[in-house]
Amino acid sequence: MDLDLNKAAARVVIDSQLSDASSVQRIRISHSVGFDDPINTSGIKGATVSVKDNENRLYSFQYEKDGYYIHRNFKPVAGRIYTLNVAVQKQQYSSSCQMPAYVAVDSTGISEKSLNGKTYFFATLTFKDPAKVANYYSYTLSINGGPFRFANAQSDQFNDGLKVTHYISDLETDLFSGDEVVVRRYCVDEKTYRYWNEYQNNNLSNAAPSNPKSNISNNALGYFSVASVKEYQLKIGQ
Amino acid sequence: MRPIIQYFLPISLVLSPFILSAQEAVLSGIVRDASTGKPLHGAVIITVNDSIGATSDLRGYYHLSLPRGTHRFAISYIGYQQQIATIELLQSHERNFELKPFANRMDEVLVSAKEKGESVDDPHMSTVHLAMKDIKDVPVLFGEKDLLKTIQLLPGVQSGGEGSTNFHVRGSDGGQNLILLDQATVYNASHLFGFFSIFNSDAIKDVQLYKGGIPAQFGGRISSVLDISMLDGNKKQFSGESGLGIIASRIKLEGPLTQDKSSFLFSARRSYADSFLKLAKSKDMDNNSLYFYDLNAKLSINLGKRTSLYLSGYHGKDNLKYSDLFHIAWGNSTATARLNHQFNDKISSNTSLIYSGFNYQAGVSSQQIDFQVASKIRNAHAKQDFSYYANANNTIRLGLGALAQSIKPANLSSDKNQSVNPTTIENQRGIDLGGYISHEWKPTTDLSLQYGVHVHDFIVLGKRTFYQFDKNGKPVSEKRDNSRIAKHYINLEPRISASLVLNEQSSLKVSYNRIVQNLHQLTNTTASLPTDQYVLSSPNIKPQRVDQAVLGYFRTFRNKQYNFSVEAYYKRLSNQIDVRNGATLQANTYFEGELLFGVGRAYGLEGYLRKNSGRLKGWISYTLSKSRRKFNGINEGKWFNARQDRTHDLAVVANYALSNSWTLSGTFVFNTGNAVTFPSGKYLINGKSIFYYTERNGYRMPDYHRLDLSVTYDPHTTNKRFHSSWTIGVYNAYNRKNAYTIDFREGKTNPNLTEAYKIVLFGIIPSVTWNFKF
Repeated sequence: MDLDLNKAAARVVIDSQLSDASSVQRIRISHSVGFDDPINTSGIKGATVSVKDNENRLYSFQYEKDGYYIHRNFKPVAGRIYTLNVAVQKQQYSSSCQMPAYVAVDSTGISEKSLNGKTYFFATLTFKDPAKVANYYSYTLSINGGPFRFANAQSDQFNDGLKVTHYISDLETDLFSGDEVVVRRYCVDEKTYRYWNEYQNNNLSNAAPSNPKSNISNNALGYFSVASVKEYQLKIGQ
Repeated sequence: MRPIIQYFLPISLVLSPFILSAQEAVLSGIVRDASTGKPLHGAVIITVNDSIGATSDLRGYYHLSLPRGTHRFAISYIGYQQQIATIELLQSHERNFELKPFANRMDEVLVSAKEKGESVDDPHMSTVHLAMKDIKDVPVLFGEKDLLKTIQLLPGVQSGGEGSTNFHVRGSDGGQNLILLDQATVYNASHLFGFFSIFNSDAIKDVQLYKGGIPAQFGGRISSVLDISMLDGNKKQFSGESGLGIIASRIKLEGPLTQDKSSFLFSARRSYADSFLKLAKSKDMDNNSLYFYDLNAKLSINLGKRTSLYLSGYHGKDNLKYSDLFHIAWGNSTATARLNHQFNDKISSNTSLIYSGFNYQAGVSSQQIDFQVASKIRNAHAKQDFSYYANANNTIRLGLGALAQSIKPANLSSDKNQSVNPTTIENQRGIDLGGYISHEWKPTTDLSLQYGVHVHDFIVLGKRTFYQFDKNGKPVSEKRDNSRIAKHYINLEPRISASLVLNEQSSLKVSYNRIVQNLHQLTNTTASLPTDQYVLSSPNIKPQRVDQAVLGYFRTFRNKQYNFSVEAYYKRLSNQIDVRNGATLQANTYFEGELLFGVGRAYGLEGYLRKNSGRLKGWISYTLSKSRRKFNGINEGKWFNARQDRTHDLAVVANYALSNSWTLSGTFVFNTGNAVTFPSGKYLINGKSIFYYTERNGYRMPDYHRLDLSVTYDPHTTNKRFHSSWTIGVYNAYNRKNAYTIDFREGKTNPNLTEAYKIVLFGIIPSVTWNFKF
């Protein structure tokens, strides 16, 4: 159906999910587009991007292409506090994040649920949640070598310290028998969890969806997160 | 704390003494249905010569002060044969009347009802009375007659969504309506996620809706009062009634326990599993166990000439189970005991003990996850009301009440595998001590006043832990309060309405009321879920408050065949509550930190034209309105439209008697779409296209319109004991694809583009119902 939506003025978007998966870190700077426009793929050039830790190590990111700023020798360490500084056309944006430690996964698997005659598949990750601390998890998923996309965010609010299983599937694409999936599990801080939790609550039943709250200053969209991460490869059963 | 009585003193000084002049005498009594013995509400008794008259109240009781002497009276009621009586009135006198119903309802033309609030000289305004007859003639979804759907066709009352029994009155939220069933609060009036109400039309006598100028005896919710009375059983003879519909079947039994003295009524309704969800095109809902039922019972007992006892109760439940994975059950129970006593022809008293409760349990169970959530809300209410009919121009009402309220918030429990930690959130308890006094006064023949005050002391009970939060909702401190009483919220609520008769056909009316609300319903979803959380006022949550002023013009045409009214209202709302995005309200000790507080305003113009009699009956209602809110932390602190904000709302309800046996009914509704939040931009994060919103509720859903039709075949075979009728209906007759929700998805061809699509809940839906009496 056709809807006549206003075209909002462009805002700076900072997509900065850093992790210890490798020593290559990417931060993407772009701007928002009107709802009916194609998504911005070229990004913003000419920004200054750097990350500093609480022991004064400074990592300056270099522009490569499509709005990506990259550092190829930076592997963050759990427990350190990282501060992001971005300058775009004389505007300063900053944020900080303490990197949480990784919570090891004991077992993985594939779960099948039959609803209404149709079988739905989920990747499952079972682990022991550390007791007496708040833990937050976020997941991205790649199907058959496709791009990693956000799948879901979880907290231990109701199962702190217990043996927990998370069920992961893509929000838009169903999994089928024979699919090869890679689950990326991030142990994130509370603000990152809140960002993704607000995102996942902007669903049909929400009476008033709103922008996920950014942890970056100066009204930027997006968020800054430094997380511990591991990948799990799974094949949906035949 | 200052004692409540202090507030009453100034008011009692205002009241002038009421002395019946020496030349006058009082005629009083009860008007009843001659065939069932039921009291008739709204019967008119009038002197034939000089047209001095009175209207019978809910108990059928009338009261008339007249000069001593011999008078001729006409007693009339819609659908009943008029009675003429000559009475020599030398001293105050009691006289009951029994009116015979017309065998044929075509004859109802003869009498026009004098309904509360709709008549020209009554100070009540913004008030609508519906008899079950009005409700039964309106075509509805699946043919299941529903009073909550009928009131949505009145001016100033909006539907909460397609097919929904939720309603909004004058721009307010659904949780701001006080719904009373025989005085007992109904917390959640919906079955099956709001598609049906819990009110079985078989068991309901009548309904009074107050949208403004709310009389002093009511309080507790800021937006409206929906006062529903259960039917009294037939005191003359045993009878039954049953109905088979596509959703549910009903049976009703009633009859005398002691002839002419006491009666019982029992009615039950049960739905057939999930037949309607299959029609609703929602494939996910196909294999459900899904039903609801309702039980209503009432005993009416005469304990002598002046005393009656009424015992009534309701119990209902919904049960939904989804192939062992998920189940949810919820239900209401109410019980009312009311003792009515007539001390003399001037003073009457009602003593009531009332209980009501609502609870739900939901559970998820699978190999890995197994937990239960349960919540319960209850109240016990004791109240004493007095009416003093001083003379034809002065009536005083006063009452006192104590209501104990408790909420057991949603708690998590788990018995298998320990996949969740059991959590227990402390119960909330409060006591509402209230009292009111009001005076109905007719100082001149043209002017009628009703003024009064309602006073509440809402006591937040202690022995629980209270928290303080920072502006982001993070708990900053906690304090265990071991005292009995944690806090008092004392509020004084003035109420006044007046009518000025311009001529025999028309009047101006004006009213003002203030009301506070201490029980708050929290919701952040578009659907009506039984899991909505209730909270009581607390140190963090202040009572919600409304100030409403209304101005209206009322007139009748063609010898009261038509009523017309237009009303303008303005409401100021304080301490309104909204919920942070992504908030977890259930099983969350710190849920108060998830709440945001703000203000609101709502204003509008309502027009209502009603034809009461003739072959063609029905009404047209139109509302032009605005409803806005302002919250710190929402929409950058700027005013925004409430979700239920609509510019235009139109309803046309018509009923045409083709012949003695055939009746044709139709309803047409049109309204501007609700205010809604749509994205105005988007951006890419972590591989996801994320929507960028610039304004809360800055957009509109498409306009909504729909036509429903039904035809009833009712052969009025009055001589036979068995009697049956058929109703065939069609909902959404021209199959309008009204959008229930609009959502967005990545384009199928180019994922960088986004497209909007709508979800339609109900297309054209036929229904058939068979009703029979025995």
